[in-house]
Amino acid sequence: MKNILTIAGKDFKNLVTSPMFCFIAALCSVLWSFTFLRSLIMFAENTQAMFNPGGQTPSLQMTVFLTHISQINLLFIFIVPALTMRLIAEEKKLRTYDLLLTAPITATEIALGKFFGAFGAVLLLVLLSALYPLGTRLITTFSMAPLFAAYLGVVLVAGTYVAIGVFASSLTQSVVLSVVMGLIFNLFLWFLSQGAESSTGLYMTSILEHLSIGDHFMSYIRGSIRIKSLVFMLSCMGLFVFLTQRVVESSRWR
Amino acid sequence: MIQVKDLSKSYGDRQAVKKLNFTVNKGEVIGFLGPNGAGKSTTMKMITGYMAPTSGQVSVSGFDLFEDPIEVKKRIGYLPETPPVYLDMTVTSYLRFCAKIKGVTQEGLDGAIQNTLNKTGLDGVKGRLIGNLSKGYRQRVGLAQALVSDPEILILDEPTVGLDPKQVAEMRNLIKDLKGQHTIILSTHILPEVQASCDRVIIINEGEIIAQDDIRGLSNRMSGGGHLKIKVRRLSSQVAEKLRELPGVKESLTTGNYIEVKTDGSEEVIENISSQVVGLNAGLLELQVSTLSLEDIFIQLTGAPLTGHSVEVQK
Repeated sequence: MKNILTIAGKDFKNLVTSPMFCFIAALCSVLWSFTFLRSLIMFAENTQAMFNPGGQTPSLQMTVFLTHISQINLLFIFIVPALTMRLIAEEKKLRTYDLLLTAPITATEIALGKFFGAFGAVLLLVLLSALYPLGTRLITTFSMAPLFAAYLGVVLVAGTYVAIGVFASSLTQSVVLSVVMGLIFNLFLWFLSQGAESSTGLYMTSILEHLSIGDHFMSYIRGSIRIKSLVFMLSCMGLFVFLTQRVVESSRWR
Repeated sequence: MIQVKDLSKSYGDRQAVKKLNFTVNKGEVIGFLGPNGAGKSTTMKMITGYMAPTSGQVSVSGFDLFEDPIEVKKRIGYLPETPPVYLDMTVTSYLRFCAKIKGVTQEGLDGAIQNTLNKTGLDGVKGRLIGNLSKGYRQRVGLAQALVSDPEILILDEPTVGLDPKQVAEMRNLIKDLKGQHTIILSTHILPEVQASCDRVIIINEGEIIAQDDIRGLSNRMSGGGHLKIKVRRLSSQVAEKLRELPGVKESLTTGNYIEVKTDGSEEVIENISSQVVGLNAGLLELQVSTLSLEDIFIQLTGAPLTGHSVEVQK
């Protein structure tokens, strides 16, 4: 446990203090500031224009926040592999991997440490993105609970991307290859739902639907916490951390 | 302390290490000598648990490497060929990280780091980024990393390679200072390095041990069976003839400006020769006991010149 924290702490610190992270965070906030404000203004204009006494008013959650969170997700598909790319690939390249492999720590501790270190850094970005909806609270009132559910979804989906990114990084010495692999894995997980739509077999469709991270994520954005989605994403993380552990362990046997 | 039994490693068809057997006792400094590609690094990596052997056993302080890898790793400090340093960390924060993953307790942390900084002479640069340090200092940081948990065994893979002569000397002194506190295995392809720091040498070539000897035995081997080269001011055939008459001298020839003498290699003969030359009033300028290079020793041991990859031998 202590070793996991040591590795996670080191990687978290190195990531967060790197110019790359600050640059990414800055660019993200520029983008979000632009798009969030725009959709907020559009929402305000729409609700004013829409004279609908007694009827349902469009909710902030389903319009502004949904757009915002989908955008976070889209960004994370690309950004998270960039943040995780160096974690193991560069250790291999700079031979610091030798240090980890000859230290009295297990492969599991290395894999978990790397995962939590990167996850911590990504959570900072999640926190940054949460400032926008939270800031909206200053000017209007809305129900916080669906927003929390949506953010739980963001955290889970980000964790899955991190686990995938760490795994991709463990497969290669090249950071470029690592980022490309991570990205493709993420996109693949996302596009499984399209396979579900075009698939004809009954079982195949339902299997692909279950495997597609998009469907699970959407239920969170709509404000519902589904146990099966929670289990799915946690096991996704578990699976990829496990695979990373196997790759780290295997380097001793090659 | 370290027992290696029938250790083998193959990479595909190529056998890098073939059935090595040796023991290292507590407190010894062992030199692993061999040309590049002889299997030195591979053997060391296997002892540290970095890679698994194809077959064979390694036990360190009674712990089997495959049963208790963590216990073994706790007892070993390893400096690989390329120092495993994070270039974007400062020396202190790097050592702190290393100490923590090597199981130094929270209370002992500051003491261990300060101790290591002092031992390796890094105190002056402790706040600097490792990426900004020179190669020599990075190598020291690498050594500091191996030392920080105060392990019983130090395994140093070519610790002086790529350093300038001054840094090489400093590194050797450092290793000398560590003698007695740790059991050390050191690999090198440079003969004088072994002479400078080791008690015992294991010479390997093409993955096999071709000789195990203490440092005296190696020196005897290196003295090349007592070849002497003598330079005198007043060179005459008479000097060479007189020398030939001495007991223990096998041959004495005048070649160019030198007299070349072959002896049985004992120290008395050399003493007699030097006093004879002085006694003849020939004006002794130079008397050198010619030493053999690693290559010569290899030829002597194997009867064949070095094979394998490019061989760099410091003469």
